[in-house]
Amino acid sequence: MRQFLTVVVFTLLTIGFFAGYSNFGIPQIEPAPPPKEEKLDLGSMTMDGFIALGERLFNGKGTCTLCHNALGRAPELATVGEVAAGRLKDPRYEGEAGTVEEYLTESLIDPSAFVVIGFGKKGTNDTESPMPNVASGGIGMSVAEVAAVVAYLQDSSGAEVTVEIPQDIGAQEDDGEEDESEPREAIGDPKELMALFTCDACHMIGGEGGEVGPDLTQIGASRDRDYLRRAILDPNADIAEGFEEDMMPEDMGEAMYVAELEILLDYLAGLK
Amino acid sequence: MRIPKLLQAVLVLAGVYFGFIVVFDVILDAVIPSSLLVMYMFFVTAGVFMVFTYDEEGTRELVAPIKALVEDPSKRVWRNIVFVIVPLAAGAGTYVQMQPSFEAPLELRTIHPAPPSTAKIYGKRVNLLKLENPFRKLEKEDPEQFRELVEEGAAVYIENCQYCHGDKLDGNGPYAAGLNPTPLNFQDVGTIAQLQESYLFWRIATGGPGLPKEAAPWISSMPVWQNFLKEDEIWKTILFLYDYTGHSPRSWGHE
Amino acid sequence: MNGPRPILKTGLALTILGLGLAVVALVLTGFGQFSAFAAEHAGAAGEAAAAGLYGPAPKLTAADYPAIAGVNGRIVVWIVAQLHLWFAAFVLAVPIFVFIIEVIGMRTRDKRYDDMAYEFIKVSITAYSLTAVLGGFLVFALILFYPHLFTYLSTIFSESMFYYALLFFAESAALYIYYYGWHWLQGGFKKWVHLTLGLVLNAVGTTLMLLANAWLTFMMSPAGVDAAGVFGGDAWAAIHNFLWNPINIHRFVANIAYGGSIVGAYAAFKFLTATGRQERAHYDWMGYNANFIAICALLPLPFAGYYLAAEIYAYSQQMGITLMGGIFAWLFIIQAVLIGTLFLSANYYLWCGMGRSDGAKRYTKYIKYIAIVLVGAFLVWFTPHTLVLTNEELKALGGPHHKILGPLGIMPAKNTAVNVMIIFTAISFMFYRRANKIATVPWVKAGNAIQVALYTAGIANIVFLGIYHGYFTNTVYKVAASIPQVLTTLVVIAGSITLDSFIYRGSKEVGSLQWGRIPERAQYALFLLAVAFTWLMGLMGYIRSGIRQHWHVVDIMRDASPDAFTPTLGYAANVVSVAAIIFMAMVIFVFWIAQVSSNKTLPAGYWKE
Repeated sequence: MRQFLTVVVFTLLTIGFFAGYSNFGIPQIEPAPPPKEEKLDLGSMTMDGFIALGERLFNGKGTCTLCHNALGRAPELATVGEVAAGRLKDPRYEGEAGTVEEYLTESLIDPSAFVVIGFGKKGTNDTESPMPNVASGGIGMSVAEVAAVVAYLQDSSGAEVTVEIPQDIGAQEDDGEEDESEPREAIGDPKELMALFTCDACHMIGGEGGEVGPDLTQIGASRDRDYLRRAILDPNADIAEGFEEDMMPEDMGEAMYVAELEILLDYLAGLK
Repeated sequence: MRIPKLLQAVLVLAGVYFGFIVVFDVILDAVIPSSLLVMYMFFVTAGVFMVFTYDEEGTRELVAPIKALVEDPSKRVWRNIVFVIVPLAAGAGTYVQMQPSFEAPLELRTIHPAPPSTAKIYGKRVNLLKLENPFRKLEKEDPEQFRELVEEGAAVYIENCQYCHGDKLDGNGPYAAGLNPTPLNFQDVGTIAQLQESYLFWRIATGGPGLPKEAAPWISSMPVWQNFLKEDEIWKTILFLYDYTGHSPRSWGHE
Repeated sequence: MNGPRPILKTGLALTILGLGLAVVALVLTGFGQFSAFAAEHAGAAGEAAAAGLYGPAPKLTAADYPAIAGVNGRIVVWIVAQLHLWFAAFVLAVPIFVFIIEVIGMRTRDKRYDDMAYEFIKVSITAYSLTAVLGGFLVFALILFYPHLFTYLSTIFSESMFYYALLFFAESAALYIYYYGWHWLQGGFKKWVHLTLGLVLNAVGTTLMLLANAWLTFMMSPAGVDAAGVFGGDAWAAIHNFLWNPINIHRFVANIAYGGSIVGAYAAFKFLTATGRQERAHYDWMGYNANFIAICALLPLPFAGYYLAAEIYAYSQQMGITLMGGIFAWLFIIQAVLIGTLFLSANYYLWCGMGRSDGAKRYTKYIKYIAIVLVGAFLVWFTPHTLVLTNEELKALGGPHHKILGPLGIMPAKNTAVNVMIIFTAISFMFYRRANKIATVPWVKAGNAIQVALYTAGIANIVFLGIYHGYFTNTVYKVAASIPQVLTTLVVIAGSITLDSFIYRGSKEVGSLQWGRIPERAQYALFLLAVAFTWLMGLMGYIRSGIRQHWHVVDIMRDASPDAFTPTLGYAANVVSVAAIIFMAMVIFVFWIAQVSSNKTLPAGYWKE
């Protein structure tokens, strides 16, 4: 029994030493928390702000600096603005870009379109790039974020910034993969419409929804179509008692098709 | 006379311990960090223990004096002395360790981190990898004008920098003692002699607040000189730093 | 009576052999079936995807992780998975060297080997059921705490999980017949049958490990799915993902070293509690063999580790940098301390063991030099790149860079140190082997001179490569130098063993080896080996899993639970320590139960006469 206890004590001491060393012998560094998916507000953004966003993405979420740094794991990007023009004429170039901006965008989405000599994957003779597609799962940049990084790259390499700030990101999905230039198809179902514009975030219908705005469960009983139309297009014109101004977005009129507005009004007026 | 094993072991440990201190702190003039020395000594002790105890005779000889001290009736006086001293020493050690001190807590901090490849200085984005001192070429082309520029740089230095970095550029100015981290000693071969001029330009222009993330926490009190000096004044000061110390900046060419 | 019985027995033996072969065939074709299945489905993969058979990886929110009984799901899964892994490693490793020892016993016709092999497998029997119990617990924990992850993985690995469950029957059958039939299947043909069973047992066991490895490497380097996580239908592609084989190799080697160390701890415990001389001698011998197995597997382990790390780097630079830099850089300092402990305690055991031979005196004078080199190399090995400095020291140094210690913190110095440690462990071992022998060949002096020259040249080459490439060339060569260093080490060790076998051909023995003549301290070295190994495996489990960061399946399925954060090293060390203590308690239970069966109580007057 004595031997047994000695062994137990010895084991506990050993484990205690390892745990103690790990806790107190070395500095405890708090690892960065998982990155948050950032919501972009591009509408109010200046070009400088957009470039700064690109820089943040470049140094942060994009994880670009892991390789594009002074250690030379990946090509230096300090002059990429000038170099890109030459790349387009390079016989090894396989992409479809016509301008520097397009080239840069393409290099982020399809890195193997042009591989700088000496930076290819081992054994592929510089035809395949080790860089991931920044829009894919791991980094997961949206279209707008890619544009911001391109703007930053152009700015930081001293080239002219040709990127335009993408607009209409209001209804941006997390993956942002929709093509923003294409108009949305009109929606005929009022419930889908309400879901698209997330009305239920503030308004309650049938016991479900938020309490920031008035309950709409029986709104048709007390308000007519004209009032409702005005309430959607110009929310601050009349404020129901007990609610605050400036809570509802004012751009519903821009975001909605006319037909959709009518469908929505029909629906709301019918809630009695 | 043969030295008893226990004494041998103690001598070896003390020898290694003071050996480390003498070699590092005195001969090489590079202090051995106490945290590291503790771990070093832990494993040296383990090694000494291993060598002295792998066979029975060695172990017996090593342990014999300790056993005798505890068990031998004739060693009563010694035993009592040791039994008093050991707890006292342990208590004193604990007291010293736990005593609150004025020393700031340890921080892992890289004072001179790798520079970014570009930085925004004077409202422009400059490429630090390619940036050169615009006056450096005059050293060969027009030595006379170069001397003048160095003089002007010296004036800037005396007016702004020497309070901390010292009039001998040895990091020992009147205010140096109050600063932590200490102002850089430019005379040391390990500082500006190892750096490119663009690095100095970046550090001077953006100061402590311009340190990148890896240098956190940003406790350096170096001011952001781009807010106080003109661009050419910084470049001239850099000329002066190298001229006075006799160092030459690290060149662009690959070694 | 004598007539039909042998025939019956032979028939039975043949049946078992046939069954065994059938299982081998099943196992071997298992992968073939996967490939065939894959080939069959590869064509259909496109259709499958188009038809929406497999959905994308779910995007989860914190609400998707059930809170159960107020416990932290991650810690439960973590500890249970780690316990399962420890037992599984032990249970898979033991049959491997039991098989080898049985073969040695069969070749040498030395019954001691056979008895030792039997005792090894006896220890692993209870551990086997604990492995299964913990495996079941792990599955439950995953389903309960991470239902969506488990659902996603099980849609991709549906077949392999099913085969895994089936293979467990084969594993159990093989193990039980192997163990319970040990004394029955003895001698001549039956011994062959028994050996075959051992082979089947190992084949099934290894297959089980390979399958389980595939699931976890899929989480690190997903394959066979697209960027959204939609499974293409090719099961083989998902199994044969990028990190599968590097992990397989690393685990296989590490399991053997680990199994050896645990059995060594068992022998050490039995030695300490043994009463008779003979029993002590037996367990001393068993401990020596277990330690020998552990060291043999330990020596190539750093290289397997380098290979794994290099492949992780090749798979994803980002993962590689996460692995080697940032917070995990400090983890490798802890790892260095642990591996140093392993090397030191293994060497100490060898030195203590030299007391078994009367001829060892000739070599003991060198031990202190070996110790100096080992400790010196070890100090280099765990010198961190970033030093922890007090403000005084910072001022004295004029900055955080240390001109002497700084260069020791980087890879070339550490590679050099670990190679030197391996070579000196080999020298320790050479002295041990020589301790009881006197060479009789006329060219002993020349032979020894060649040995010295071989080691000197090897060490000089390793140090030269380390210093020259590490500090006087640019980054590319710094890393490249490790390969010639490793080759030098291997060549020196192989050359030395070969040379010694010629020098000691027909040698005389000094006297018979005195098994059991070893200090008790040496047994604690064996315990230390086992504990350090256990803890180290737990720590490396943390980093292997930790480099996925906030992903369940890297880049495909995000961990949205509140526990998605990467824990600090201290936190991880505490979890590992708790798990290690639980494991040790269970191991003690296993050891205890293994000896209970041999205890007999004869109560007087209890039974009817």
